Amino acid sequence: MTESSNADNAISVLKEALKKHDYIASENISTAVYLAQKLSKPILVEGPPGVGKTELAKATALLLNKPMIRLQCYEGLDESKALYEWKYGKQLLYTQVLKEKLSELTSDSESLKQSVEKLHEFDDTFFSTDFLEPRPLLKALWADQGAVLLIDEIDKSDLEFEAFLLEILQDYQISIPEIGTVKSTVPPIVFLTSNNTREIGDALKRRCLHLYIPFPDSKLEREIVRSRIPNVDETLEKQIVNFVQEIREMDLKKVPAVSETLDWAKALILLNVNNLESNIVRSTLNVLLKFQDDIEYIESEIPTLIRSVVR
Amino acid sequence: MIYNFIKALRASNIRISAAETMEAIETLNHVGLFNRQLLKDSLSLVLAKTRDDKETYSSCFDLFFSMDTTESVAQDALDTAPTPGNENRHNNDQKKMQPSSLLELLEQSDQQALAENIAIAAQQVQLSNIRIFTQRGIYARRILEHMGVNELERKIYDLAQAGEEDEYKYLKLRKTQALENILELVDKNLLLYTANSGANLRQEILEKTPLARVETRDFKTMHELVKKLSKRLISIHSRRRRKAKRGALDVRQTMRKNIQFDGVLFNTIWKKVQIDRPKVIAVCDVSGSVAQTARFLLMFLYSVHEIIPKVRSFAFSNQLGEITSLFQEMPIEIALNEAINQWGMGSTDYGGALHELERLVGNEIDSKTTVLILGDGRSNYGDPGHLALKRMHLKSKSVMWLNPEPRTFWNTGDSEMNKFTASCDRVESCRSIRHLERIISDIARHTV
Repeated sequence: MTESSNADNAISVLKEALKKHDYIASENISTAVYLAQKLSKPILVEGPPGVGKTELAKATALLLNKPMIRLQCYEGLDESKALYEWKYGKQLLYTQVLKEKLSELTSDSESLKQSVEKLHEFDDTFFSTDFLEPRPLLKALWADQGAVLLIDEIDKSDLEFEAFLLEILQDYQISIPEIGTVKSTVPPIVFLTSNNTREIGDALKRRCLHLYIPFPDSKLEREIVRSRIPNVDETLEKQIVNFVQEIREMDLKKVPAVSETLDWAKALILLNVNNLESNIVRSTLNVLLKFQDDIEYIESEIPTLIRSVVR
Repeated sequence: MIYNFIKALRASNIRISAAETMEAIETLNHVGLFNRQLLKDSLSLVLAKTRDDKETYSSCFDLFFSMDTTESVAQDALDTAPTPGNENRHNNDQKKMQPSSLLELLEQSDQQALAENIAIAAQQVQLSNIRIFTQRGIYARRILEHMGVNELERKIYDLAQAGEEDEYKYLKLRKTQALENILELVDKNLLLYTANSGANLRQEILEKTPLARVETRDFKTMHELVKKLSKRLISIHSRRRRKAKRGALDVRQTMRKNIQFDGVLFNTIWKKVQIDRPKVIAVCDVSGSVAQTARFLLMFLYSVHEIIPKVRSFAFSNQLGEITSLFQEMPIEIALNEAINQWGMGSTDYGGALHELERLVGNEIDSKTTVLILGDGRSNYGDPGHLALKRMHLKSKSVMWLNPEPRTFWNTGDSEMNKFTASCDRVESCRSIRHLERIISDIARHTV
């Protein structure tokens, strides 16, 4: 009984805290964040674009007061951009300096063997962390206080990169061939986001908690609008959300997401609108819809839509 | 309980690994069992990992935990009890939970206790192993026996003998009620654990059935299978690329690799990454002799279109025509029917078709092109047109022939496979979905 009520409390606390950072989380989302912390597992967040996948990571970072490190994935992303890179310029300089020093050092030794032995007394600094340029993944592992690592749009990256992530996601460690294994002291909280342009591999999915964020229902969406745009008029806000919800039911190329609802609400406030009317909706429709076909299709429906919404 | 739940999920086609099971248990430790919504949310995070899975999961969860609210508590207590290995842990609990006899229960008419005891008995006869509906009776009986029905029946018999009508009738009624409860539970379990096994079995059989023998009523399932197949192949093959030997020098990588040689450029690394773009020209025989399989060969072609971007498709019986645009623009059902109506059902003329093909695309065939021919190679004793095929073979990267007939039938009657084989790189017999899958995967890998 205690576990359950503890978890209950923790989750509602978490939800409230996320709300303070302007992120209205559903029950499901806050449970995911809670479990990710408890099980120290990455969360794979899927959902249509614009439902706040990236925002969730940002809000969590703010909430936990940890730095957020973001890695944007794209085709051709490789480990030298994601993980680490040698500072080869510095390394080259170092070899130059070393050369000069070497002749000084070995000038008094007689045989080749002796000079080699002398060299061995020095540390192997060439491939050391001094010459390592950390990229997002390594930065996240190295962060003393832990971090929130956001691997954005993992579906855009190559399969090879996905495979390469497995070690990090499972054990929060990585192998750098020249140095060895780097393990994080405080495991970062990892969010992976995906728009489902391709199926993510089973191996990766298995290592993550899987969270699907759908479009919010009207109650939740109204709450989101209220928190993001505090000065919105209540009737207008209700009308906007209902309107968008109606549109989402229709057969469109791209249905408007939450971010578009917010943009539209902001636009309407700028125009000093208090009540949805056909001509205003018509002239601002391009904020909400991104395809000409969709706009044309909706335009003919505007009067009916407004009637059902305003009522 | 969690094992049974996972078993139920697996039965409805959600793939859950052992590691995920462990995670689910760990999750339970964190969230507990008593808040149902919380439990549902958290387990869904751990167990269901695609959008489709989430929906299946949701209904499965509701069904599984709908088996009476009180029961989940009973099951929970029982969860740790019946295995002999850890008896010492819950010895006291177990004694308390020991089912009292069915007779007593019915006499007391305590619904709650009855439901609990049914649940416990069900657990102990391992009701969750139920697989097909004919087992319903057996399991119901086993549960009854486990609860001590014999004693009850003896009592009923005694009462009947003694002529105590009222009590006899009362007990008899109660027994029927209990049986109804049990049957309901068995049905729920059946639904839960066997949701998909029938469909799965059917699909498995269909995969192995020769295409020619698939019945009309199975077309829909077949179509789904082909779709699934192509989806799988797309995800495997759509991103194959290779490193070119030459291209622009990748300065960064080269420096990085050669730093160990003091900056002397030993190993050069080139930047150009080439995406493989196989070109495929596919020709499908849709004549009367292969009418049965033509549908599936076309279906297969349709899925090739989804995997490999540059495909030109042709269909022929006595005439040959291009169906590429048809395949690209129409949904599969319409495209298939159109193709068959437009070009199909004539008598085969391989000679004419191959010459026509050469005339149409002969100039396009180059060292990157794979020519794929689907047909039985039966030319009605006419000109097989193998010389045209030979000329195309010389120009192309490879020529493949997929024949829906088994190998033993080749070269019998009017089959001209020998002549065709001479100008093919690969000749395969392709008779079922299994074959299709293997071959299409090979093509995607090698047509480069």
